[in-house]
Amino acid sequence: MIYPKKISAKKTGIIIKILLLISVLVALLLTFINKKTTPDIHWAALSNAGIVYVWITVIYSMNKNINIAAHVMIQTIAITLLNLYIDHLLGDEGWSLNISIPIIIIIANTTMFILTILSSRRYIRYAIYQLIILLLSTLPIIFICRGMIQNVIALSYIAIVISFANLIVTIALSAGDVKDEIVRKFHI
Amino acid sequence: MSKSKGKLEWRKLDNSAKIFPISAGKKYSTVFRLSAILNENIKPKKLEKALKIALEKYNSFKVKMKLGFFWYYFEHNGKEPIVRLEKEYPCKYVNPKTNNDYLFKVTYFKNKINIDIFHSLADGNSASIFFREIIYNYLELVHLEEIEEGIRTTRKVEEVTIEDSYMSNYDKKAKSNNSTKKAYIIKGKKINLGAISAIHQIIDFKQLKEICTKKEVTVTQYLSAVLIYCIYTQNYIYNKDSKPIKLCIPVNLRKYYSSKTMANFFSYITVEANMEKLKTFDDILKFVKNDFKKRLTLEEINKTMSGNVKLGINPIIRFIPLFIKKIIVRLSYIEIRKYTTITYSNIGRVGIIGKYQKYLDYFAMLIAPDPVEKIKCSSCTLGNKLVFTFTSILKDNKIEEAFYRFLINQGIKVEIESNGVLDDISKKN
Repeated sequence: MIYPKKISAKKTGIIIKILLLISVLVALLLTFINKKTTPDIHWAALSNAGIVYVWITVIYSMNKNINIAAHVMIQTIAITLLNLYIDHLLGDEGWSLNISIPIIIIIANTTMFILTILSSRRYIRYAIYQLIILLLSTLPIIFICRGMIQNVIALSYIAIVISFANLIVTIALSAGDVKDEIVRKFHI
Repeated sequence: MSKSKGKLEWRKLDNSAKIFPISAGKKYSTVFRLSAILNENIKPKKLEKALKIALEKYNSFKVKMKLGFFWYYFEHNGKEPIVRLEKEYPCKYVNPKTNNDYLFKVTYFKNKINIDIFHSLADGNSASIFFREIIYNYLELVHLEEIEEGIRTTRKVEEVTIEDSYMSNYDKKAKSNNSTKKAYIIKGKKINLGAISAIHQIIDFKQLKEICTKKEVTVTQYLSAVLIYCIYTQNYIYNKDSKPIKLCIPVNLRKYYSSKTMANFFSYITVEANMEKLKTFDDILKFVKNDFKKRLTLEEINKTMSGNVKLGINPIIRFIPLFIKKIIVRLSYIEIRKYTTITYSNIGRVGIIGKYQKYLDYFAMLIAPDPVEKIKCSSCTLGNKLVFTFTSILKDNKIEEAFYRFLINQGIKVEIESNGVLDDISKKN
């Protein structure tokens, strides 16, 4: 064996199919929860649109071989600020905090999760962006603690859980790489 | 290249090199790789030191690329080169930002050393000289006592320059001989997520040479004919397309002109096989032999080389600002690439001094495939091992497998090594 082990084309195809299936199941589950809990607010439609967005971004970025994590991070910050601003302009109804930001966090973390799974041995490239996204993902905790979220509180909890699950996966997969990078950067 | 009289030294890109940074991108990296497989595991610290010593001797590689208003140019790079464990697919775009501005990347994996080089910096010949220097230095550092002092001190560094040999050898009056016919483009589904498959076929050189002698052809001619035959039987006949299979063969111009440049100095010939007239392997081999004879003459090579030089020195092109050149070149390259079906580069025998050979198993060369030329081939020889490499972004490896079967059926011993992206062929053999 003269090459590092890579995921074969066949296996990559299978992984993509499995993740697509999971995406469909999650979309159906979210629709079901939406119907049962808050049928008047169609937040599941937004989440499902987000899932479609994740796939477009992931496939485009992976095929172009660009640093998708940097894009995800910038888009997360930009869309969050834009939503807060629009909400403020429309009379501070709170939909940005209640619905938009949790959904943005779910989408960003899901994108990073798929990326980490598919980009074998390149986790380190995403580490710093991943950490910033995780930092942003703690926003719903602050909002809940300060009583700023009145509606659809479940969505914020989902966002927090997904963020921490993503953090655990990242640490598990990239701990070795992060350690190597620290040794390289700070050697005396 | 170094600092002199307080001024930072710089140099222009040679005539071939000019085009690569303008046309290159993540999908069209114009990167090629040389790999040396040793008989022992690599020691990274020693490799790093070996690279630094080699860079002192061949400082034309110690450069970074800078953006000018009309063209890119090279400037001395004061940073240290980085040696890394191999993790990525071969021949990927060398991003200077993550590589201390270097235009080449040295990596290692178990008992293998790789160098991925952006084509602006060097062609196969000069890259091979630089790579051999790294290998020699490395072996001398690791086997300090075994390699006699005499060999180390008397091993002379090849005398080289960094002149643009195109400018001193092109013929102003030569007429271009470029073909106007578009080529057959290999069809098939691409591998997902930017992966590149690398399949090495390690061929018994003596057995191959015997067959070539019997058929009165050179090794390059024989392997080119096998390649065309495999494309024809595995891809061409399944697609309704009457365009010729066009095989592009890079030619080392140092063999035709007296030049010791470490910059690019290569041209190419294009074998144009019209498949309506060629049905059997013997037909193809006969055609390839005659076509090589016709095209590999100084006159024909000079026409191709001069045509390309004249394009590069055209006053209108020279004075177009770089950002506009980029747009024009990238748009025209979409068309230009349609004039080649496949590239096969044979850098021939890698000359390694006798005492160093026992530490080496074989060498391999790889060229980056691109969205149009989805498969590229290359070969090189060390001792009795000719390593023929397919780099591909296609999901199926029928052409690679047919190539292997063909040689086996001729009674030639072939072993397979691959990076496992298309693992079927490796599992079968």
